[in-house]
Amino acid sequence: MGAAQASIIGSDERKANRKVAVVGRSVIFKIKRCDGPGKPWRWESFKVPTEPGSNVISSLNWIAANPVTTDGKVTTPVVWDSNCLEEVCGACTMVINGRVRQSCSCLIDEYAPREGDEVVLEPMVKFPVIRDLWVDRTRMFNALERVKAWVPIDGTYNLGAGPQESHEHQQMRYALSECMTCGCCVDACPQFTKQDDEKNWEGSFIGPQAVSQARLFNEHGTGKRLKDERMDTLTGPGGIQDCGNSQNCVKVCPKGIPLTESIAAIGRSATVHSIKKFFTGK
Amino acid sequence: MSTNPATQASFMQKNQFLIRRLHSLSGILPIGVFLMIHLVTNSSLAWGWFALKGRGLAGEMSVSEGGVQYFAHEVTWINTQVPHLFLTEVTLWLAIAFHCILGVYYATGGKNNLVHYKHQDNFRYTLQRLSGYFGIFFIFYHIATLRWGWTLLLPTDTQWSHEFSASTLALALRGSSEGWTTAGLFISLFYLLGVSLLVFHFANGLWTAAITWGLTVSEHAQKRWGYVCAAFGAGMMLAAWSALGSAMLLDYDTAYSVEASMQDGHTEPMIDHDQMDMGEDVTLEANALDPEG
Repeated sequence: MGAAQASIIGSDERKANRKVAVVGRSVIFKIKRCDGPGKPWRWESFKVPTEPGSNVISSLNWIAANPVTTDGKVTTPVVWDSNCLEEVCGACTMVINGRVRQSCSCLIDEYAPREGDEVVLEPMVKFPVIRDLWVDRTRMFNALERVKAWVPIDGTYNLGAGPQESHEHQQMRYALSECMTCGCCVDACPQFTKQDDEKNWEGSFIGPQAVSQARLFNEHGTGKRLKDERMDTLTGPGGIQDCGNSQNCVKVCPKGIPLTESIAAIGRSATVHSIKKFFTGK
Repeated sequence: MSTNPATQASFMQKNQFLIRRLHSLSGILPIGVFLMIHLVTNSSLAWGWFALKGRGLAGEMSVSEGGVQYFAHEVTWINTQVPHLFLTEVTLWLAIAFHCILGVYYATGGKNNLVHYKHQDNFRYTLQRLSGYFGIFFIFYHIATLRWGWTLLLPTDTQWSHEFSASTLALALRGSSEGWTTAGLFISLFYLLGVSLLVFHFANGLWTAAITWGLTVSEHAQKRWGYVCAAFGAGMMLAAWSALGSAMLLDYDTAYSVEASMQDGHTEPMIDHDQMDMGEDVTLEANALDPEG
């Protein structure tokens, strides 16, 4: 057998796998497939030859050219979403061996080093599936609108130069600005629940990504003008209070964004904001 | 959807933040603070003799006897001297009910994924919820049997009483004055699991509360506060286990006679009894003579 079916493998294990990877082997891709929204899903397996440095996307490309399952059945090419192929756009995020991550940066040598090892691909679990591994992440962009994740500079007069910022503070904000709205954090969050109906988005947990982006713009010299409005959203239904502190978000974030620090920082702002609001009225 | 549940939902939705913060607060004040007092008092069964010895009051007593005497004195004090005890108790029960009901409501809103994300933090997230569920059953059983006197649920017919606090507690845990009955063994294990999970729930709750309220923002601060909570939890666990262990292992007859002699001591100076037996009337008189009783 020898199928590396460990759902989670750490970076040490991945490095070790890369060293022992057999050149010229074939690996099995077990893929959770679905023909469209509301349609039933099924598993299909494909035997894919590897090349040095091949990744999940290149393997999916091979499957698209040879859509034949391990049973010899000719099937439709597997559909997936991708764009940049260098882990900065977030489009190709999927669940690989039970754990959410970007597929473009997922090296086969690290996950399936031996002949016949299995790689399991599933669409993200918290978003509506459009087809196969392609999901609709609109809810995250909607969340960014809800927390007004922008700097308000539109107006009728020149605002002049922005405020000065220390190097240290800029470094802190830079880390937050790396978010690519990929959805790993919300997919791994036990408090963020799948909502197919758009009407339920507002009432259920907004997720770590939007919380962290609200902090990024609250910390911006000009962006903080909208802080009260952001905090109104984040202390409203589905706001910061729905965080359960499982801290999965920070562990799966491919950009290493300190999401749990953002959650605590917004928690602090929420404490101050709500007390202020209680005593000063609206 | 009918109108009634809709308005209910919107009330919960509108005040979600406030209710959630009150839920967090209620876990510390009053519930957590009470738990600390409760465990420290109960663990005096284990350390009471040392306290008496320090004051030169231990005399010829064994460690176990000293523990029983100290504990019995504490419990009697709480039950007779604490002003507005009933009001305090009801406040506590309401706070626990509030924390439990909302806790279940919140916990069922999440969907644990420990199978896929095996992190220590995620494990604690899951255990926090499981310990909460278990804790509800445990606390209900604990209060119903030992406070409300539902002997039906006890492994023995004897009600817990504050005059015989240690001996009746041992009976409630073990099922018999001789040792463990089968039911008693089950109850003892239930207690051990219950208090351990609740101590974890409180210590971990303190850790998450610091994030919720925004006290520990940086990862470093969260880690440091985590060590503090772990040390605190270990101390509480020690108190809980020593209390439970002492109650389970104490010698029933010795404990009973220590408690009985304390009843005598309470009444003897006032009334000259020809014969002292441990009947109902003595207890009643002791209560009647008490300024608060």
